[in-house]
Amino acid sequence: MIKKEMIAMLLAGGQGSRLGVLTAKVAKPAVAFGGKYRIIDFPLSNCINSGIDTVGVLTQYQPLRLNTHIGIGIPWDLDRNVGGVTVLPPYEKTGKTEWYTGTANAIYQNLAYMESFHPDYVLILSGDHIYKMDYEIMLDYHKAHQADVTIAVMPVPMEEASRFGIVVTDQDGRIVEFQEKPQAPKSNLASMGIYIFSWQALKEALIELSEQSNCDFGKHVIPYCHRKGEKLAAYEFHGYWKDVGTLGSYWEANMGLTAIIPEFNLYEEFWNVYTKNDILPPQYIASEAYILDSLIGDGTEIYGKVYKSVISPGVIIEPGALVRDSIIMQNAVIKAGALIDKAIIAENAVVGERAQVGVGVELPNKVKPSVYSFGLAVIGESAVIPADVSIGRNTAVTGVTVKEDYPNGVLGSGEILDKAGDVV
Amino acid sequence: MRAVGMILAGGNNYRMRELSNKRAIAAMPIAGSFRSIDFPLSSMSNSGIQKVAVLTQYNSRSLNEHLSSSKWWDFGRKQGGLFVFPPMVTQENSFWYRGTADAIHQNLDFLRECHEPYVVIASGDGIYKLDYEKVLEYHTEKNADVTIICKDIAGTDDATRFGVLRLDEDNRIVQFDEKPMAASSQTISCGIYVIRRRQLIELIEKSIQEDRYDFVKDVLIRCKDAKRIYGYRLDSYWSNIASVESYYRTNMDFLKKEVRDYFFREYPDVHSKVDDNPPAKYNPGSAVKNSLIAGGSIINGTVENSLIFKKVFVGSNCVIRNSIVLNGVHLGDDVYLENCIVESRNTIRSGSRYVGEGEIRIVT
Repeated sequence: MIKKEMIAMLLAGGQGSRLGVLTAKVAKPAVAFGGKYRIIDFPLSNCINSGIDTVGVLTQYQPLRLNTHIGIGIPWDLDRNVGGVTVLPPYEKTGKTEWYTGTANAIYQNLAYMESFHPDYVLILSGDHIYKMDYEIMLDYHKAHQADVTIAVMPVPMEEASRFGIVVTDQDGRIVEFQEKPQAPKSNLASMGIYIFSWQALKEALIELSEQSNCDFGKHVIPYCHRKGEKLAAYEFHGYWKDVGTLGSYWEANMGLTAIIPEFNLYEEFWNVYTKNDILPPQYIASEAYILDSLIGDGTEIYGKVYKSVISPGVIIEPGALVRDSIIMQNAVIKAGALIDKAIIAENAVVGERAQVGVGVELPNKVKPSVYSFGLAVIGESAVIPADVSIGRNTAVTGVTVKEDYPNGVLGSGEILDKAGDVV
Repeated sequence: MRAVGMILAGGNNYRMRELSNKRAIAAMPIAGSFRSIDFPLSSMSNSGIQKVAVLTQYNSRSLNEHLSSSKWWDFGRKQGGLFVFPPMVTQENSFWYRGTADAIHQNLDFLRECHEPYVVIASGDGIYKLDYEKVLEYHTEKNADVTIICKDIAGTDDATRFGVLRLDEDNRIVQFDEKPMAASSQTISCGIYVIRRRQLIELIEKSIQEDRYDFVKDVLIRCKDAKRIYGYRLDSYWSNIASVESYYRTNMDFLKKEVRDYFFREYPDVHSKVDDNPPAKYNPGSAVKNSLIAGGSIINGTVENSLIFKKVFVGSNCVIRNSIVLNGVHLGDDVYLENCIVESRNTIRSGSRYVGEGEIRIVT
């Protein structure tokens, strides 16, 4: 018989529409992060570092890059004879076939997968957070409190508490009340979207709620368990944790890595973060190059100037180019004399000679002001920016653009130039 | 593929000085994130060779970790594989490898059990790319018994460090002197051979019966006239790390764009075992010029015309010029290095000063 004490279910099917054109071709968990990694590397590495060797990854939106990244789990030592990583897409079945309609619905559709490991506990994770956490300690806490459900929470500033799902606890850490984005929060403990369920409690709740439309953990399952009188515990986490769901928070988290001693340290010997490694040569820094406060990936060739930026592997920054406060993803090319200021340049994009990205005054985006904010210019995957044009702030550009797309050679702040049809 | 690979990686070389104290030459770190043996292994893999034996002896443990899996180079697992063979005491044999021919002889069973008709023999200390498919075509076209990869080196280079060859118009080898006192030509052997498997087994058995243990001197040179030995001229980059000077120069070659492009951007790729290192980090005070920096390094000081290998920490106000800093070195603040090679996993105290004058200084 196969038996695992705890297995993890990692929700990686969401689009992450607030990351704008960055998630046009890839699911949010597959978006590049920190000059080398993809977001999903953090929860996956946490799993193996916590001794969890059985992980189901639920995929739905644009899974190709996620699938090739995960493969059979070799980078995380998750290629196992028993257990290991399994990618779980939605599938057709007799009777009712549906997509994953909500987080809990996705888990419900994979009851058979979980059942096959006879778990005592199931850990529910999402694929869009940057943090290092030992789930084993959380499990100890779960056991010590004889809980049916344990929710990881972290203290947030009281004035921001109304943006989160807030839990109110008693002295023993037992949850007595929930508030979803409350006007008047009664506590500052925000749910991190990480849950440990005792298997019977989870199974029972999922079956009970199987007819619930868009069944969601935060909205349906946890309140259901609470109503039913199950024991709910809150596990307080005090380390670094960042939801990188918006362009602003994603950019900030990347920039944070460039500090002299970053709050989130990738250089610790303990608690390695693993990722699929391409075999790459070292980076070449030319005589005319200048680099300060930056992370630079392998295989890059830097001839220009780079300040406070995160540069992924295989990028070329040509002579005279200047990159500042920006994120440049894999294999992008910044041509000679270009200026990149507070921008995110996605994979394989090319910025032409003397082009300027991220200039001028900041104006709100005209189409999607809630997504393209923070003063960021975002250049989509495989986009081409012609020479000598200038692109303002709070902008997005996709596809192969030519000079004629830029009236007077300018794309003003707040505009969107969408040649790839990625902005819906 | 019609060939199996065999890499002779057992030797020591006193001209590598202290650098060979703790590793085999084939395990020497090269170009920031590779090891010397990656180049012959990658050439074999990229030519479609699925099965490779690496014969190790001197400091063999240093290679074991690197060669821990065949998958880094995409060799087969069920069909083929990567095998590491140190010397082994058996009923018939109680010796170390007494020479290259003896090393092959002690592993003749491996060759006998192969079904591939040809064997590619290479050393572990060459830096090059080579398509063995083409060499095999040449080999059969010439109806050769042995094909030796050779290279015309510049007139200024010392050919007497190598096996010196003289070829006739048909490229048949008419003269072959191993490390002669005076070189008769500037054509040298790269130490890479293609030979029919049964032919190799026969020649090796005969040589060992006569207590002759060196593959070049006792097998190739002796049968030069009896067998048809041809030279295959290599006109692309080739370098051999047989001394501290050539090791230093080969590494510095990777600061040239054409060398980097040839190895790292042009097809086919060079493969290696990869590490889980974070990206390199540049802190305030860093000033890097014309240098290669590998992953996991943290730079706080000045680095010029140098190679910084993986996971190196460079402290504040350090100045590193024309130097090679190997894996995992920690340099304290205010360190000055010029014309040095810093041995891996070293810790250099703050304020230290090491300058190589006249020759490369090895800091251990």
